[in-house]
Amino acid sequence: MSNTGLLLLLGVVGVLTYLYRYAMIGLFASRSLPVWLHALCRHIAPASFAALTASALFVTAGEVTFAFDTPRPWAALVAVLVAWRTRNVLATIAAGMAALYLFKFLASLLLAG
Amino acid sequence: MRLPSRLGEFLAGCRDESPLLLGVAPFGMIYGIAALAAGVPAWIAQLASAVVFAGAAQLVIVQMLAAGAGFVPIALTSGLLNLRHMLYSASMAEYVRHLPRRWRLLLAYVLTDEAYAVAVLRYQRRDAPPADAPDYRHWYFLGAGFTLWVGWQLSTAVGLVFGATIPPEWELDFAVPLTFIALLTLLLRERAGQAAAVVAGAGALLFAALPYKLGLVAAILLGLVAGAWTVHRLERAR
Repeated sequence: MSNTGLLLLLGVVGVLTYLYRYAMIGLFASRSLPVWLHALCRHIAPASFAALTASALFVTAGEVTFAFDTPRPWAALVAVLVAWRTRNVLATIAAGMAALYLFKFLASLLLAG
Repeated sequence: MRLPSRLGEFLAGCRDESPLLLGVAPFGMIYGIAALAAGVPAWIAQLASAVVFAGAAQLVIVQMLAAGAGFVPIALTSGLLNLRHMLYSASMAEYVRHLPRRWRLLLAYVLTDEAYAVAVLRYQRRDAPPADAPDYRHWYFLGAGFTLWVGWQLSTAVGLVFGATIPPEWELDFAVPLTFIALLTLLLRERAGQAAAVVAGAGALLFAALPYKLGLVAAILLGLVAGAWTVHRLERAR
């Protein structure tokens, strides 16, 4: 994306985000949030993170590729296990990166041998 | 007990927000590193931290840029993700409604996840000032938000400096999906959220071929439908 495109994107997302934050304390200060919006908000984060994770791991250039001969899906699996056991964000990121380096190292040994 | 002054409240807000910076700083650094890896110029990445000032959305933006997504899908996805700030806004409304407009305009700018979490606790504490005494708790809110803002800008800058020196072979951009995995695990407490995540994840693969990564938007919307449907079904089963 061009720099102009990026700046425009920032502008749109920035203004939108600010409007959300100002909405109920300024724009609609006398009203309460609709129940359906409340319910919707709860599911946006899990849906977004799941879609992005699945896409980051298994989609390359618009095609679904289960590349289980590369380190990333396996490192992600380690991260899932650590996240599930510890519920600790930093431990999960650290374990995932460590697993990535370990698997890359093992793969290089295999290729060299 | 002496009532806290404006400065006293502001500094208390700064103090109580500080521990949260330990958790926020790594995200800022990961964001900075991933932004450079996605081809975003450093000055635009830093500007984004000031303009958007929302960690999860900024990580989503750079992840989608790296995947070659187009303008509209990125704006839709990050716009949708930030909708939750309306919840914070609604929750804060009763505490800041009486303030002059310029205060509410300012506080809206710092109404992020972490500042909200600290500020709302101050308002819910029992030692509220008596009705006839001046209420300076919005200074506390501002102190918390200001501290988070400074921490976010600095950690972004550190990430940008690091990102410019670390070779791409370190694959630090992989920290972004790892962050999503970690946050996802924390969010999957209830059945409806799990349904939303599973359907959205499957949808991302199903719609992978759609241009400009519009498939991600479709997948997230499908996940929201699945979440809503699960809530509806659970309510009927009760």
